[in-house]
Amino acid sequence: MLITNTEEIPGKQIVECHGVVAGSTVRAKHAGRDIMAGLKNLVGGELKGYTELLIEAREEAHSRMREQAEQLGANAIVNVRFSTSSVAAGASEIYIYGTAVTVR
Amino acid sequence: MIDLYILLGLIVIGYVVGQYLEQRHYRSIKQRERDFIGLATTTSKRPIGKIPDPSRVELVEGACVISVDYFKRFVARLRMFFGGNVRSYETLVDRARREAVLRLKAKCSNADQVINLRIETSSITKGRRNQVGSIEVHAYATAIYI
Amino acid sequence: MKYSPGLPEKNCNVSTEHPLKEFFVLLIGAISILLAVLLLLGLFVDLAVQYIDPKLESELFGSFTSDDESSPNEQEQELQSLLDRLGECIDVGYPVVVRINESDQMNAFAMPGGSIVVLSALLDKVKTENGLAFVLAHELGHFKNRDHLRGLGRSIVLLTISVLLTGANSDISALLTPVYNAEAAQYSQDRESNADAIALHALNCHYGHVGGAAEFFEIIAAPEYDLDWSLTHYFSSHPEAQKRINDLDTLARSQGYAVQ
Repeated sequence: MLITNTEEIPGKQIVECHGVVAGSTVRAKHAGRDIMAGLKNLVGGELKGYTELLIEAREEAHSRMREQAEQLGANAIVNVRFSTSSVAAGASEIYIYGTAVTVR
Repeated sequence: MIDLYILLGLIVIGYVVGQYLEQRHYRSIKQRERDFIGLATTTSKRPIGKIPDPSRVELVEGACVISVDYFKRFVARLRMFFGGNVRSYETLVDRARREAVLRLKAKCSNADQVINLRIETSSITKGRRNQVGSIEVHAYATAIYI
Repeated sequence: MKYSPGLPEKNCNVSTEHPLKEFFVLLIGAISILLAVLLLLGLFVDLAVQYIDPKLESELFGSFTSDDESSPNEQEQELQSLLDRLGECIDVGYPVVVRINESDQMNAFAMPGGSIVVLSALLDKVKTENGLAFVLAHELGHFKNRDHLRGLGRSIVLLTISVLLTGANSDISALLTPVYNAEAAQYSQDRESNADAIALHALNCHYGHVGGAAEFFEIIAAPEYDLDWSLTHYFSSHPEAQKRINDLDTLARSQGYAVQ
């Protein structure tokens, strides 16, 4: 499954368009990470726990979007956009959406 | 003790009524998606296929704010203690997005194509640290009338 | 390019698991963790309390004694002398002072640092010396067991842990508070029964018999019958009055104490 955030896939031609597909997840960190982040706020720097959390969340959202595109019979997703928001204090939501197409 | 009973009562009401309302909303969403399936939508900037010059081009928007019931809020609270996928909010964000896009399509149901669909999300908080559970989705796109 | 739309049959963005299942799994997990923490806390505090000897306690908590600086009135002096005589039977390790506070509630408290506060309504209702002696001896029993310190230690540590883990003002505490209250109440009831037993021994040691010991409970037992949903006895910090009367009877019989 080809996934790009461009209009067209260089070197390939889009023959069919299947509409908009999307994947979303809501992930929360556990209490332990919360405490470590609180401590890290004293000294600053990268909050590795949160970085990992968001990376995992994005991968899951990616795979959900891919699954939805496969159900529609597409083999590529173009013009992919991301959106992140915090639904609750302590949980963040990742939303990925794009257009599912068939390329040749 | 009375606090515990009130809490349990709220959870039960939230669960029963919330599930019913959610199922009803989903039925409505699926129905409308079937109705609008002919309206070509894409996130690309260019229209699908070759089309003649459009007679009218306009920006259309759709927005909605959806909140969860008390049962889901409560389960999410517990989940946020342990970490992982907050499953009770998945239906919230799913419904909100689909509803916003459907409202957008309803505004331009006569259009031939809808291009450059973008979706903005924000959460509504009153500023209290632990306010949870509602999401505002704003979808906007360009509708092309040939 | 042609447009061939479709609607996916399966919604991949929501999980198909039943929400109630997740609810119960998480709830049981949270309650078990809380109970485990409380048990560990109990052990830890019990261990720590043994290391605070009475002298250290009176240094730390000396300021907790009543701020009524006036010299004791006649009633207070009487109580004090009764207390001192009982003190010969129960060794607490530091001098204990008794004060009387005006109130319409029947109660008495043991405060860290070595002072007992008796509320005036109790003195009005409990007429016999034996009854009063039991109440004072019960409080002395708390001092001997260092119960006041245990309560303080547990609350401080638990508050710290819960604020750290769940954040202040969290909703989750609304659910877990009853679990904590139930456990704390059971712990407290154990300690109250212990204090009752010590008081009974003291009475026997001082007077040679234990008649009138249960007078206090008999007075408060009467109006205690009310319609409730029968879970309150798990949550109250003292055992029910009738139960305490029964326990005292049983203990007296087993120890061979005369009742008159």
